Amino acid sequence: MIPELKPAGDSALLISFGETIEEEINSRVHAIARAIEKADFEWLVEVVPAYSSLLVVYDLLKVSYAEVESAIKPLLSAETESFRGRLVEVPVVYGSSYGPDIDFVAKHNALTVDEVIEIHSRPVYLVYCLGFLPGFAYLGGMDERIAAPRLEKPRLKVPAGSVGIAGKQTGIYPLESPGGWRLIGRTPLRLFNPSKDRPTLLQPGDRVKFVPINESEFRDLYEKEWGESVD
Amino acid sequence: MKALIELLKVPSLLTVQDSGRPGYRKLGVPVSGFMDDYSARIANYLVGNPGNTPLLEFLLAGPTIRFNASAVFAVAGDVDVRLNGLPVELWRSYWAKRGDIIEVGTLKDGLYGYIAFAGGIKCEKVLGSCSAYPKAGLGRPLKSGDRLSLSYALLTGREGRYLPQELRPDYSAKEVTVRVIPGPNLEHFTAGGVKTFMSSAYTVTPESDRMGYHLDGPRIEHSKRGADIITEPLLPGAVQIPANGKPIVMMKDAQTTGGYAWIATVISADLPLLAQSRPGTRIKFKEVDVREAQKILKRREKMMEAIKAFLDGKMRAYRIRAGKEERIAFTKVEKA
Repeated sequence: MIPELKPAGDSALLISFGETIEEEINSRVHAIARAIEKADFEWLVEVVPAYSSLLVVYDLLKVSYAEVESAIKPLLSAETESFRGRLVEVPVVYGSSYGPDIDFVAKHNALTVDEVIEIHSRPVYLVYCLGFLPGFAYLGGMDERIAAPRLEKPRLKVPAGSVGIAGKQTGIYPLESPGGWRLIGRTPLRLFNPSKDRPTLLQPGDRVKFVPINESEFRDLYEKEWGESVD
Repeated sequence: MKALIELLKVPSLLTVQDSGRPGYRKLGVPVSGFMDDYSARIANYLVGNPGNTPLLEFLLAGPTIRFNASAVFAVAGDVDVRLNGLPVELWRSYWAKRGDIIEVGTLKDGLYGYIAFAGGIKCEKVLGSCSAYPKAGLGRPLKSGDRLSLSYALLTGREGRYLPQELRPDYSAKEVTVRVIPGPNLEHFTAGGVKTFMSSAYTVTPESDRMGYHLDGPRIEHSKRGADIITEPLLPGAVQIPANGKPIVMMKDAQTTGGYAWIATVISADLPLLAQSRPGTRIKFKEVDVREAQKILKRREKMMEAIKAFLDGKMRAYRIRAGKEERIAFTKVEKA
């Protein structure tokens, strides 16, 4: 499948495989992103991958669109095998005050809470891309048996690390923020830590496995990760 | 920490900004940085700094600042500034002594003003930049009582650099034309929708902020493919049209991905003009292609280089009148 190349403003080129969410295509997106980064063009500002498209941001004082296009074309056939994301285990304490909406999700789908936990923590999820907030991962692979509508009225404050469900998607809030996802649990891990060289726990193309933990494990891990106890 | 300034009054949003933190968008971190790249860079040039040096950016109303050490400063923006109660010229660098107080008033035109200090605001870079992005805990809005250090550059700071009126950006127009490159999601719009966007005037609404400018005006019609797209990367200048048919233009703190159809992108050279457009300003869009946009930016950058050389005393500026047209020309200063 040959992607379409088109300008996105005067300083970026959009490579698009059409509007689709497919693991195979997303792997190609990441392989191409990696190949462009590796080529180390002096005009390259950055590459931003999404589901089935990626943005190549360039310095328009150094290069023309046509030059960017012809430099990139040979890299579009980058082998998917050239890119393999890591497997990241994300511990989650499910339910209680950490996941106040888990009962709703269970009832909504005629399941028990334990079944929700089991179904949510079984798959290996793919990080299609990051966006929305620093460190927020768009995860693919949730079982639709635990799908649930968003809250009618978003919460003003969702704690960092909260794990939620919105429609057929699951995700982790990287920062304390307002939010309307149904919260089913919370991870003690820091999804975004700007003082680190690698500021986000998850990278595009990584794979994620949720591992259920209990509350005392959560508290211990939280203290280790954040350097303070959870409030 | 000798070089200190203290904020006595902060009436509005005040943040430290530099040219931003590109390179982390794939991790969801916006690029941030100066909303009006031209005014900010000129403010830095006025005090002898490189253009990307961290400075203070204020929204509409400026702060009152006390100098606890001497420093050279300049204010860029159409605003009253008083040094120890006496009015000072704008777009000019001044030497402030220990104990001096500057009061920056409210902008008459535009939305963002800049206060630069020789050497720049001292700050610890996070992910390569000092630009505040409070939403993710990267810096925070400054408040009264905050003290800031300046990087040492007392030797490089010079009083009396001055930018004449003709060379200053003008943000007084109530209706501005912003040039855009169409796409990349044109298939999400009807031909009529694209025509509406290109030919109508849109008004900046008060919901606009550093993340995005929300515009109001004739509804832009989507095609059968609708307003929602599979999440795609975004960048400042991108004009998204959600289901209500009203444009949102992404600005410096915009999220890095988005799910609304993207009709066009504001060219880099015109983003500062849009950033300075207050709520109520009427915006008209005009189509250009990428090559034209690149030419415009290159011309603009040449002008910026000339302004810098002029402020550094390496160029002279002349007002040239050819028929009815008046323009500014620069010549190199001959070495003695």
